[in-house]
Formats: sequence, structure tokens, C-alpha cells
Amino acid sequence: MIEIVKAGLETSIQDYPGRIGYWNQGFPPSGPMDSWSFRMANILVGNAPGAAGLECQFLGPTLGFQQDTVVAITGADMRPTLDGIALPLWQSVAVRAGQVLALGAARLGARAYIAIAGGIANPERLGSRSTFHKAGVGGIDGHAVKAGQVLPVFDGTGTAGLVVPEALRPEIRTDRRWEIEVCAGPNDDWIDAAGQERFLSSDWKLSAKSDRTGFRLEGPEWTFAEKAINKPKEHGSLPSNIIDHGYPLGAINLAGQTPIILVNDGPSMGGFINPYTVPSAAFWKLGQAKPGEIFRFRQVSVEEAQDMARAIKARCVAGNLVTL
Amino acid sequence: MIYAQPTFLPAGDRYVLIEFGNEMNLDLNFMAQGLASAVRQAAIPGIIETAPCFASLLVHYDPEILTLSQTADLLGGLAASLGRSDDIELSSRLFYLPALYLDPWTRECVEDYCARIAKKVPDPELLVQENGLDGVDHLVRLHSSSEYWVASLGFWPGLPFLMPLDPRARLTAPKYNPPRTNTPQGAIGLGGAANSIYPVATPGGYQIFARTPVPIWDATGTRRGFDGALCLFRPGDRIRFVPVTRDEYDAVEAQVNENRYEVTVVEYQKFVVRDYKAWCEKLPGKRA
Repeated sequence: MIEIVKAGLETSIQDYPGRIGYWNQGFPPSGPMDSWSFRMANILVGNAPGAAGLECQFLGPTLGFQQDTVVAITGADMRPTLDGIALPLWQSVAVRAGQVLALGAARLGARAYIAIAGGIANPERLGSRSTFHKAGVGGIDGHAVKAGQVLPVFDGTGTAGLVVPEALRPEIRTDRRWEIEVCAGPNDDWIDAAGQERFLSSDWKLSAKSDRTGFRLEGPEWTFAEKAINKPKEHGSLPSNIIDHGYPLGAINLAGQTPIILVNDGPSMGGFINPYTVPSAAFWKLGQAKPGEIFRFRQVSVEEAQDMARAIKARCVAGNLVTL
Repeated sequence: MIYAQPTFLPAGDRYVLIEFGNEMNLDLNFMAQGLASAVRQAAIPGIIETAPCFASLLVHYDPEILTLSQTADLLGGLAASLGRSDDIELSSRLFYLPALYLDPWTRECVEDYCARIAKKVPDPELLVQENGLDGVDHLVRLHSSSEYWVASLGFWPGLPFLMPLDPRARLTAPKYNPPRTNTPQGAIGLGGAANSIYPVATPGGYQIFARTPVPIWDATGTRRGFDGALCLFRPGDRIRFVPVTRDEYDAVEAQVNENRYEVTVVEYQKFVVRDYKAWCEKLPGKRA
């Protein structure tokens, strides 16, 4: 059992790939935004890559351990300490009953992940332990963890002293600029050639009005193709309106003139076009970007995007870990 | 228009969007749901899930198992085997939901909006004006006269997008501008040509004029009638709103609060598109 001493800004239980199979009832998958770092944390402590762990956003929690176990912290650097002594990231560490693990504010990146040997044992809802805050589903009582709560943990068999080699970790940017891959479609043909060119060649600033449902971007105006302007009236009056349709996760959803990247807790459908889609392999970058940082988008083919996801998956296996 | 062939639009590394046409038309939704149903029955390895909407179907596939072109080929083949929409048969349940029309809670919500945000014609009266009806009683009669088709669920988990199956009950209304900051749970509303029920208190943009005491969403998954699901409805279900008095509303609400309310539902039947269309053809007094 693990006691939440301080909750941090928004610390939530997530598993991977999350709540899959309920998109037609309006449920998003939820799950960790940076699933690369998340999976690495799990394999470090001997768990399956998708076992339930903690996602810590911007400011991490303080946890009191009531049992001996092994933990690993990956992703953003929140300067973790164990009883006041600095802990390394990307490494499995033994923790004794009575010790206190404390994370601070993110120095680099935005989201840290804490895996505990065995994995968190909160009840599954619709096949997943992930937290979907907006609707109060999953996690503990449907929301981010709160001080005073106690998290149940399955029995685990972790080994301390395992390390993710540096070459296999995601490289969190220190210059506040990110190159994010996108695939064209489904509605790229609603944007004119100048608009497509402008999207791919402009700086886009990540707005502070972003959360696990959507990442708002600030940048230049969009211009539209004929198709967006002359259309049956049931599409709606704005050029970016379309008859309500299903949204892919990662969609760059154009609400009027504001692009919003629909992320893990995003809506399943709606009436705006999605000219581009961020593929799964680039989600870790979204998870580690802070508001105010700059995105540039680079178009890749569907096949390239699938190869990238495969490459990340191949890295997140226990055989790649080394011992101290 | 209805496209001669469905259009396949790639959507990132694990989704493809299939469009059947570009208008709001029940036929297109039958095609989307028909394909969703065929995909479910075929249980194709690598197809993870689908989500039908008014005129399209989003398909989530596993690129470890299927390439984009293999996915499109498989779905294209299934879509072709469905044939014309007339031949589609869909599993559908029919729910009877008590509804208090012209209820005090939606009226109070609209009055609050007028006082705090923007003056507007009250929602029931606006619907009467927009659709050339004889008054709010006519609105209630007409709205409660049809079964409603659950075209899709989204925006909020379990929130149904509904279209009346009786073409004479088709009403349209503009959406709120700006949107409301709140809507009572269970409010029944209409925006554009779509109807909906608000599963929980949320912001909203539809014109609201009735309320049901029956919960359609349950985060705990323990309510009677939900069979462990968190949402009452699935795409392809039908709903009939049964007008009730305030006393009846209060009685149902009391049963709901004690978790002893039994939802009235006719379990799965076949909805046959051909029979539905034949019925529509014979209707007298169709509204344009």
C-alpha cells in the first residue's frame, strides 16, 4: 500500500493502452500521454509494459510507502528524492516500508511517471484502471489522487539497479522547441495549398488552455479550399464545420480558427474538421511539452508513422535494460 | 449526396475514416451502422473498434496486424457486401423514457441564461416559431409522437445524437450563441436537426424544452437496467419519450434515487431498413 501524502498538481492512475473499445459510446482511451516513458518505468520494475502506474503533471506528489518494494521514475525530471536523498531517473530503486518518495516541480519535461513493482491495483472500469477525470471514471473514485488516499498495489518481483540505456530514452527538448510528426488527413483537402504550406512552415505555441482532453495551439490564420466554403448547409456555417463525425485520437481539430490537438481524454466525435493527425509515436512529445513551448509540424506518411511506433515498442522491452 | 462508393480517409497511424456521403440523412447512418455491425460480426483480427456517426464510420485498427491498404480493402469488401441500405438489418432496442415537457428546470435554466448572458426567445416558443407550429402544445404532441434513432454517442460519454424516425416529427432549431454554461441533467434538447439528452449537467447549445428523470449515464456502473455498462444507450437503439405529469415525474425520480426504477425497454429486435422505408412511403401528411 502507498499513501498519498501530497497529491501534486494532477497525479493520476493510468494504464496502457487504456480504455479501448468504448469509442462508440464516447469513452476516450485515457492512459499515459507519454507512453514511451510510462512503459519504460514499468519494465524497470518487472511489470508488464502497460501495468497501472502514476502520471504526474508539472508538479509531482509525495508518497509514503507502507511496504518494501521497487519503484522507477521516468519522463520529466521532477527531482525525485527518497527520504531527502536525490534519486536517479530511468532506474529501478529499492524502497523500504516507512520511506517517503517526494517529487517536485518539473525541471525538464512536463510529465513524470512512477511505476511500482506489481502495479497499482485500483479496480478496473470498462477494462482499464486509467483515470478519465472529466467523467469521473477509473482511478480511485474517478479523479486524480488526493492527499490521504491509500493506493493498493499488486505483489511484484522487481529488481533494483536496472537502467534504461540513454540511447533508448525519449530525448526531452531543452530548447523549448519540438518537431512533431503529423500525417495528412482525414480532412487535409478542406485546407487550400497555401494553408497547408503555412501549417507546416509556421511556429505554433502550446497554449496554457491545454489539458488531457486537448492541446490548444496559437499561430497564424487558416485558409480554406473551395470544399470548405461551398458545401451543403447541414455542415454548418463556418469553413471548419463538417457534419459531426468520429475524431481520431491525435486529430488536429480545427475549431473555427483554433487548432486543438485531441489527446488521451479527448472527445470521440464532433462537428469540426481534422486536417492532420498526430500519430501515436509522437504523443510522447505532446506529453513532455509545457505551455508556451513551440511546435513545428513535419509531415510523414502513414507507413513512416507506423514504423516509428514499432521502433518505440521494440525499445520498451526488458531485454534492453542494463544493470548498474 | 450519397457517394456511389464510400470514401476512405487515412487518419494517422491507427485510424481510417469512412464517409458514405455528405448530408444529414438517416440512410447514411444506416450504412455506417450496417458496416459497424458487419465489422463486429466478422471479428477481423486487427480491427479494434468502430464508431459510427451521422454519415461516416471511424475505424480503429492495429497496424501491427493490418496495413492501411489491407484495412481499407477489408472494409471496402464488407461495405460492398452490405449492398443497398434497404437490405441492412440492425439489432435495436426500444427504450420508453418518461419526459416532463415544458418542465420548470429547463425553463429556469433558459430564464437564467436570458438574465445573465443574452436575451433570447424562450426555447419552446423558438421551436414553435422556427417550425411553424400551432403552439407549445403542438410541439409536445409532435415531439412525443415519434421514435428517435440513436445515430451515435459522443461529446460526453453516453450522450446520444438522436434523429426522429417519423419524418413528420423532424424539427430544426438554431444552436445557442454563445452556448449555455450549464444544462440540467436529463434535459432533452434539439439543435440543427439533431435531438439529444444531457447525461449530466454540462454546458450546451441545444434548445431545451423537456426533462427525463431517468439517468442515462452512471459512472458507478451499478444502476438497474445498465447491465454493468456506464451508458444506457448504444448506437442503433431507439427511444420514445412518454409525456408524464409532474406527479409521475416525481414518483419516477424517487424510485431512481432508491435504485429501484426499472427502465422500460423492449430488448433486441431487428430494425429492417426496407420495412422502415416502406412505412415512411405510406405516411400521410409528411412535413417537408
